[in-house]
Amino acid sequence: MVTVDRTRGYRLFQGLNAVILTGVVIVTLYPVINIIARSLSDENAIRSGSVNLIPRGFTFQTYQYVASDPTFWINYRNTVVYTVVATLIAIILTTCYAYVLSKPKLKGRKALIWVAVFTMFFSGGLIPNYILISSLGLKDSIWAIVLPNAISVFNLLVMKAFFEGLPAELEEAAAIDGMNTYGILLRIVLPLSKAVLAAMVLFYAVAFWNSWFSAFLYMTQSDLFPVTVYLRNLIAGATSATSVGADATNMTVAANIKSVTIVLTLLPIVLIYPFVQRFFVSGVTLGAVKG
Amino acid sequence: MSATGTVDAPSDTQDRRKAPPAGRPRAGPTWRQALRRDWQLYSLAVLPLLFFAIFRYLPMIGNVIAFRKFEPGGSVLGEEWAGLRYVQMFLSDPTFWRVFTNTLVLGGLTLLFCFPMPIVLALLINEVRMRRFKRFVQSVSYLPHFLSMVVVAGLIMEMLSVDGPVNQIVRAVGGDAVAFMQEPGWFRTIYVSSEMWQTVGWGTILYLAALTTIDDQLYEAARMDGAGRWRQTWHVTLPGIRPTAVTLLILNIGAFMAVGFEKVLLLYNPLTYPTADVISTYLYRMGVVSNNFSYAAAIGLLEALIGLVLVLTANLISRRSVGTSLW
Amino acid sequence: MYQMNRRTALITIGTALALAGCGTDEPEKKGDDLSAKRDGAMANFAVGTQFAATAPVSFSLLYNNHSFYPIKNDWLFWSELTKRTNTTLVPSVVPLSDYESKRSLMIGAGDAPLIIPKTYPGQETSFVASGAILPVSDYLDLMPNFKDKVAKWNLGPDLDTLRQSDGRFYLLPGLHEGYWVEYSLAMRTDILEELGLEIPTTWDELHTVLKAMKAKYPDQYPMSDRWGVPTPGGALLRVLGSQFGAPGGWAYQNATWDPKAQKFAFTGAMEQYKQALTYLHTLVAEKLLDPESFTQPDDMAIQKLASGKSFVISTNAQTLVNEYRPPLAEANPRAKLVKIPVPIGPMGPIKPDPKTRLENGIMISKKALDSKNFVAMMQFIDWLWYSDAGQAFAKWGIDGVTTTKDGSGKYKPASDVDFIGLNPGAPKHLQKDFGFSNGVFAYGGSTELLQSTFSEEEVAFQKTMNARTALPVEPPHPLTDAEREQATLWETPLKDHVTQNTLKFILGNRDLGEWDAYVKELEAQNSKAYIDMVNAAYERYKKQHG
Repeated sequence: MVTVDRTRGYRLFQGLNAVILTGVVIVTLYPVINIIARSLSDENAIRSGSVNLIPRGFTFQTYQYVASDPTFWINYRNTVVYTVVATLIAIILTTCYAYVLSKPKLKGRKALIWVAVFTMFFSGGLIPNYILISSLGLKDSIWAIVLPNAISVFNLLVMKAFFEGLPAELEEAAAIDGMNTYGILLRIVLPLSKAVLAAMVLFYAVAFWNSWFSAFLYMTQSDLFPVTVYLRNLIAGATSATSVGADATNMTVAANIKSVTIVLTLLPIVLIYPFVQRFFVSGVTLGAVKG
Repeated sequence: MSATGTVDAPSDTQDRRKAPPAGRPRAGPTWRQALRRDWQLYSLAVLPLLFFAIFRYLPMIGNVIAFRKFEPGGSVLGEEWAGLRYVQMFLSDPTFWRVFTNTLVLGGLTLLFCFPMPIVLALLINEVRMRRFKRFVQSVSYLPHFLSMVVVAGLIMEMLSVDGPVNQIVRAVGGDAVAFMQEPGWFRTIYVSSEMWQTVGWGTILYLAALTTIDDQLYEAARMDGAGRWRQTWHVTLPGIRPTAVTLLILNIGAFMAVGFEKVLLLYNPLTYPTADVISTYLYRMGVVSNNFSYAAAIGLLEALIGLVLVLTANLISRRSVGTSLW
Repeated sequence: MYQMNRRTALITIGTALALAGCGTDEPEKKGDDLSAKRDGAMANFAVGTQFAATAPVSFSLLYNNHSFYPIKNDWLFWSELTKRTNTTLVPSVVPLSDYESKRSLMIGAGDAPLIIPKTYPGQETSFVASGAILPVSDYLDLMPNFKDKVAKWNLGPDLDTLRQSDGRFYLLPGLHEGYWVEYSLAMRTDILEELGLEIPTTWDELHTVLKAMKAKYPDQYPMSDRWGVPTPGGALLRVLGSQFGAPGGWAYQNATWDPKAQKFAFTGAMEQYKQALTYLHTLVAEKLLDPESFTQPDDMAIQKLASGKSFVISTNAQTLVNEYRPPLAEANPRAKLVKIPVPIGPMGPIKPDPKTRLENGIMISKKALDSKNFVAMMQFIDWLWYSDAGQAFAKWGIDGVTTTKDGSGKYKPASDVDFIGLNPGAPKHLQKDFGFSNGVFAYGGSTELLQSTFSEEEVAFQKTMNARTALPVEPPHPLTDAEREQATLWETPLKDHVTQNTLKFILGNRDLGEWDAYVKELEAQNSKAYIDMVNAAYERYKKQHG
């Protein structure tokens, strides 16, 4: 019997697939390479529009320049700390709640889900939120960034859906063996959930890494800012006409400095990603009991 | 609004304390029994509930300013009752209806195109047999997600400018250059296709995670039955990722009104207002000019109500038709 | 529980403030209750006095963090300021890009710092009603330097434009001795020479020059403009419009004062505005002005200029030196780019917008009045922002360290200090490393101080511009609280409609023959009702306050 993998149709499909995916890669990569090229180019070359995929007027100076700003590194370190702490707390809270919600026979489950889903649509305005954080005394502290965003309902529901898909038999068996709920969650469920945990870590980490709004709202000292606020200040410039038009000291930041900062901000996530990815691709041997 | 908000959260705790009368017609444990049996599970929910109560429900009280006149710097809860004044204001504001329609259209198109594409891409990636290539494609396809919106907007404008690469292609095939960014007719296309560029790769993560959980034995069994690749995909792979897909679909439908504010703000200009101006950008212009928080709160409530209705409907349909539900 | 208490407290405070703000028309009760608020204040603070608090004081400040010179805590500015004035500023740092949102949020939440700088005239109005900010006009007696400059430079009518319906004003604006014209056009004079043409002095001559350039270089647009995002034609419509009598772009306001009719008119429907659009439409139709001018990002416009695809672009003094000349010189060493005097339009040789000599300035949080140091704070503000010594300090720093002053009183950066390209390559930068010439602290002042940072060509430009006539300042027309709420709902859609059709008319997407139909559309959106409201407010104010 000829295995299906070797039919001509399938080989054709594989070829076509490779072409499509290569196309996806090119379309996706172009802008990113463009930014890297800009970050290594001379300012005037960028201004005259000649930088495409290859750096013009190659220079490393911009990197040195950005790296020599101590504020950049302080903010960078802040971002790392905020991201790690926030992700950790978010994962713990989300996992706990998602696990509770995934128990179909739990009394009050529906209400618990509603408590979460309702907040996806209704929220307090900026000002009440601001007053809350400042009256809790969280301003100018890491908790102002970590706590208000500790659970993303979207992630919560995704995780809940995943837990619901896990086979109930293993948990039931463990319960019969006398294991309590905490034990089951820690020793049975979580090891089976590496894939979704990895996805969640990545989701939360990227969100916290890129977030700037909470920091912008609740931080008033520049050595507490995350690097995104630093970056936003570089890139966005003034948003309103009056400040663009009438600022006596209006000077724009060089385009290559922007590119360098973007590249440096992107870098860690791109570097960490392959390690997390391993979990999706090979980490799970859940198949054995999947019903 | 505060009414719904506050009723909803405590009603749950109240229910829990007050055990319902024993002779309830519905079968199932009483609260006392449930608490005794599942107290460990409930204990896991305490911290998250606290989080929701403090950081989500408490600030909602502030929404009362949709019906009270708010003065910046005055009381958080507004100065005096204004009744439905702000609701009437936007209902009679012709611009509001234009931006409302635009929001619906952009949201709808985004859903239509950006929801299914990650599934397709995930399946394609999943079929790749060369591990290295697979990893490479995956890693690369996530990149756009990390780029700041400001950068993305800049790139879009470069690509679509009159001398840009796209117009060079248009000229090469004998067409006339199009000033894409100035034509209201092009805005939706530009918005949706760039949205796809940004989100499709990242969207595959959850599907790829779900794909890893599909039991190999199922493929084995399907092969035994003589199923080809297509039929394996149809009968094993797709059902395997269905719960994920349905959950995401419902969530996407709920988020339908939340068209990317920053992106529209960076891409539109007065010429494209007729198709590009959405609720959030209109509110922004109103807000920056006027600090009219009450008006904004009123529109925000409407947006929330629509989102809620959409998600309820989607969930209902999904439960009826495929048996998957968010709750 | 704590939370609720705090809320109750806020409501109480809010009500109290609202009540306090009610007795508006009473004459100001100056001085009566200030005696308890003089801690740290100087007894004989006057013009020429160096302010120094009698005991150390500190004040909170909302700080607009400029991306070009991000804040550093070890700036010489901070330490020297404390040394001279015995005062410490505690900045709340806000990125420039989102300064306005954070300001309105903090004031809205009742959490704003005491000193709120970088507020442009008009931006304070929405905070007036709630009583969150101080009616500074009641306390000018504490500010001798401010009063001195207003009197000396005859700025009374300018200040009147800031008055609210209660007759007071709530913003301490930056004060200029002379008018300062920032924006004009930059032009490639080497191309002019090549064509044997002179620098155009009127808009009609500009048209001729552009046509000549087009004849020589038929494949390109001789003019491609920047500052189109987010306000189309931000600089161009402002400059051109004001020369035609109806400023657009950044300066666009729905109501423009018509000195002949002694009334306000709706700008977007004015005949003068139509003429300005007609002029630009002609340029676009004859392919002299790049249609992308109004929507392209600035970088693209600069690219076109630098690569020789265009020859004319809007400019100010800084962008000319920092952004245009370097890439242009690299691409074409023989290119010469010059900022030309603003071309003259139908209004004759008048100064273009700005209409007043006021700059952005300072709001003061009402909470400051509760402080024992209130008087000291007002004296401090008066010294740093309004005294000659304070302004010179904020701009140039310390004589002998960051700057040298020659015999004729001319400032120069010290030899190891770089500033606006004056000592290129110097190891230190006046703004980045010392914190002077900071937009938060250094603006306004005498013409001499203002021009001390200008290059010779810029001084010449200012001289030409200042020889022209200034238009009369438009009279105050403050709206009442209820009127303003209505007005804001009309203003945004009206402005949107004007902007959108401005572009359509210029680009030819809509025929100028449809002008009357367009004016009808504006009327359908209440442009008439709006202007009537403004004119009524003007009459009312005139009657009440003379």
